[in-house]
Amino acid sequence: METKVTAKANSACPYCGAVFDQWEDLKTHVLKEHGSEPLPRPTGMISLTVNGRSHELMVQPEWTLYQVIHDHLGLTGVKMFCDRGACGSCTVIMDGRPILSCMTLAIECDGCRIETAEGIAEARHPLIETYVKHHAMQCGYCTPGFINTAKALLDRNPDPSEKEIMEALAGNLCRCGTYPQHPKAVREASQILKEERSE
Amino acid sequence: MKEKKMSPYRVLKKEGTYKVGFDKPDVEFRQIGKRGVRRYDGYEKASGKALYTRDVNLPGMLFAKVMASPHARAKMVHLDTVEAEAYAGVRAVLRYDDPAIKDMELTGSIAGTTRMAPDSAGWAMLPVKTILSDQAVFEGQMVGVAIAADSEQIAAEALKKVRVEWAPQPFVLDNEAALTPEAPRIIPGAETNQIFDGRELTEHGDVEKGFKAADKVIRFEARRNAHLWAGAELPCVIARWSDERLEMWVHEQQPYLSKLILAEQLNVPMNKIHTHSLYQGCSFGERCNPSNWSQNGINVLAALLARRADRPVKLVLNRAENFYGFSGDLMVSKFKVGARRDGTITAVHMKNLFANYMCTTGVEHLVDNTRIVNLKCEGTTVFVNKPPAWWNRCEQLPNVFCQTLIFDHVADELGLDPTQVALANDGCNGHDTSFLKQFQQANGFPQRDSLAECIKAGKKAIDWDRKWHAPGARRLDNGRMHGMAFTWSHDWDDTRGTGSAAIMIQNDGSVSIIAQHSDVGVNPWTTYMQIVSDELGVRYEDIEINPFDLNVGFALMSPDGSCNLVSNGFVIKKAARKARRMLMDLAADKFNLPAEALDMKDSEIFEIADPANRKPLAEMVKMATPMLNAVGIWTEPPVIDWAWHTQGLWGMALETGRPRMCRQANFIEVEVDTETGEVHVTRIVNVNDVGRAISPETVEGQMYGGTYMGLGRALTEELVWDPATGVLLNRNLLDYKYATMLDYPASDNVIVETELGHGPYGSTGIGENTATMIPALLGPAIYNAIGKRIDDFPITPDKVLKALGKI
Repeated sequence: METKVTAKANSACPYCGAVFDQWEDLKTHVLKEHGSEPLPRPTGMISLTVNGRSHELMVQPEWTLYQVIHDHLGLTGVKMFCDRGACGSCTVIMDGRPILSCMTLAIECDGCRIETAEGIAEARHPLIETYVKHHAMQCGYCTPGFINTAKALLDRNPDPSEKEIMEALAGNLCRCGTYPQHPKAVREASQILKEERSE
Repeated sequence: MKEKKMSPYRVLKKEGTYKVGFDKPDVEFRQIGKRGVRRYDGYEKASGKALYTRDVNLPGMLFAKVMASPHARAKMVHLDTVEAEAYAGVRAVLRYDDPAIKDMELTGSIAGTTRMAPDSAGWAMLPVKTILSDQAVFEGQMVGVAIAADSEQIAAEALKKVRVEWAPQPFVLDNEAALTPEAPRIIPGAETNQIFDGRELTEHGDVEKGFKAADKVIRFEARRNAHLWAGAELPCVIARWSDERLEMWVHEQQPYLSKLILAEQLNVPMNKIHTHSLYQGCSFGERCNPSNWSQNGINVLAALLARRADRPVKLVLNRAENFYGFSGDLMVSKFKVGARRDGTITAVHMKNLFANYMCTTGVEHLVDNTRIVNLKCEGTTVFVNKPPAWWNRCEQLPNVFCQTLIFDHVADELGLDPTQVALANDGCNGHDTSFLKQFQQANGFPQRDSLAECIKAGKKAIDWDRKWHAPGARRLDNGRMHGMAFTWSHDWDDTRGTGSAAIMIQNDGSVSIIAQHSDVGVNPWTTYMQIVSDELGVRYEDIEINPFDLNVGFALMSPDGSCNLVSNGFVIKKAARKARRMLMDLAADKFNLPAEALDMKDSEIFEIADPANRKPLAEMVKMATPMLNAVGIWTEPPVIDWAWHTQGLWGMALETGRPRMCRQANFIEVEVDTETGEVHVTRIVNVNDVGRAISPETVEGQMYGGTYMGLGRALTEELVWDPATGVLLNRNLLDYKYATMLDYPASDNVIVETELGHGPYGSTGIGENTATMIPALLGPAIYNAIGKRIDDFPITPDKVLKALGKI
């Protein structure tokens, strides 16, 4: 069948982009040429693996990763604090790296693996209990951001020194000033992980 | 004689009112004071499960934005919202001249009502509408129009479609300039920009006589710029109407007060307002202020927009919008101090000029914790075209600022050790410490000298006697100048407030604390549970609290200002005791013994004379108070009782008959780089007599945290306005710089427990002290390092270099 290219956008084939004047022609084309193929992904759809669960999500181009994780997936462990990438409260771990979800467009994260504090807690990572034990929180609003940054640090450096911990966490702001409790909590979590590894 | 029968109200009042005297513990402390008690909110906060107002999204919810004034002072002459109203996705528009609100006094405050003393309300008394007005009196003010739309982006876009014309007016930013005759009047037609305040003059004794008796009279001046709380969770609110009932989710320290303001401004009966207060992402007083225009303003606007759109409306200020309001210590001060050679201060005369609000006059601490007889303080407040000011962790900032500078100047001029000068003047209300000793004795308190103990502990921790030196006398091997400083004050029990709570022993033996309470991060609920555990005799892990709903009817310390545990601890303790009394009466029947013969520990009730005769609490509560309901099924109401408590008195800082006996001492060590002007803080020692630490880790947390906030205030945190336009220039967390983990070392914290507090078990407050004390300490420390005074705060490197004559 002959395909005729015109400027009509609403009659483009979703599989190959061929354009048809008539709806019936498009239908015939799709059935003949692409009938057995799985449906193509519409523009704006992304795959995210969040805390081990896979999600297919339609996102607007201007949506941030924060918006998707917090507002659409309902994971409240990502927090907006400074509103502009200055505080680390919206930190999530993306493919092993701590990143600021308020400064990242969701549409750019297709295929990424993301961890949040909820997932870290669900996996019973020792950081959660050492944070509770050392009172590494006051109002608690920035705490999940610290947990994420600390978890990413321990994944990459299982035995960090106090200095390394402080350098890793220096990008996370805490207005309540819980800072001194964090290195203690992270050190203890690292010790627990070490013991678990040697068992 | 026949005993006079008291009315039920009087009985209740007697039961709830604080009685001056030592609350001597009479239960065994098993949880109270223990380290390692599991933090109640810890898991939720670490795992991200804790829910804050900003996290809440309701079905069909709209998002609101409000126009901000671009001018420091201007009158709106034209407002065209036609295009904005037609913008796709806009659901409600509220203009300043809307008939629905035209006649409302939308001030976002309770000022002007009988609920706030007009002589101390400051900004709140400004007789112009501060919310949605057509007259702007500071840049950033919420003016003109509010819009609710399907998304925040749409609301913001629609705001850009609003056409507005302003007629800019002359403005004034500086405190001193605002008092000059040629300054523009902020209130049109007013004779002066001065704000009437009933505390304009404080006088004790005779200062002139005091100066005559002095060996040395010292004069100096100081200035302090404004800083900001800048909490983590931005101001936010959700309003939802269901018929005539209003449901609110608020980010508030004082949800009951916010309900009161809504009722007054919107004419909604208070019992129709259902308020949720979830976890609070910081507060520091920002979220509990009756004159906080934006806090209560957004609540009012969200409710109005929600009614108009018939949909839930969420209003969240963005970070920049959150910068419009500041600490109540924007001040210019002049001091004259007389002292004898031994360090005894004979007279203090100070003049403090504040902008927009005088939290405290600057002299109250000298009244409350010194023996200085002759005091005179002239406090003036003036309107400037800057945002409202109010208390911010905490209202004692001016008092600490003044006391620290006075004592440091005296010690320096007389060549004395500042710790010696503190001890030479410690006292109360013009009396020396023997007055406190007598009070301790008369009221059953332990006989201790708190300041001497604090100073001794602090000097030891920082090695004061070895390291203290004359100003500018010690250059270190790294080339920097070494400096040290010390300051002191009384405890923070300037508190007042009323709270109520119920203790419910459920049918399975688990225990609920029933009361609304706003968490501001001070780990309150753990401490309440510790108290219930010890007072009631139940296992800590069997206690629960669900404090997020104001409609339960009981509210702990609302207002929850400076007073948490010292008031709420009493409420909880009393409620636990009453519930225990009821439980023991029920148990007495089951044991066939008098209630006095029984005791309970670890949720097991036993016979005191024969502890082997014991039954689990769960068994006692089972069918304890059975009731037959209408269909013949036995139901079991839980055992429940409630209590209330009111603490302290509102009024002058020195609450009559309740002298403060606990003291605190703060020490610091700095290194000043004379080439760059940078100040490196190397050591901080905080010594706090908290009377009794219910949760020691929580006390330390407040000391750590207050240190970071205090150092930020002292060295880097400053609001900067453009003098040419009156526009605030650094309204974000990159340019308004507060401490990160790497900026300062962790403080060394020393807890002293003299049991001299007026709170439960002799405790006193800790949450506000450190952040208020530390900022004042840097001036003296830098002077000790470089031998040059910088009395202009915060002390940024340019001021150090200027003092050194390098720029």
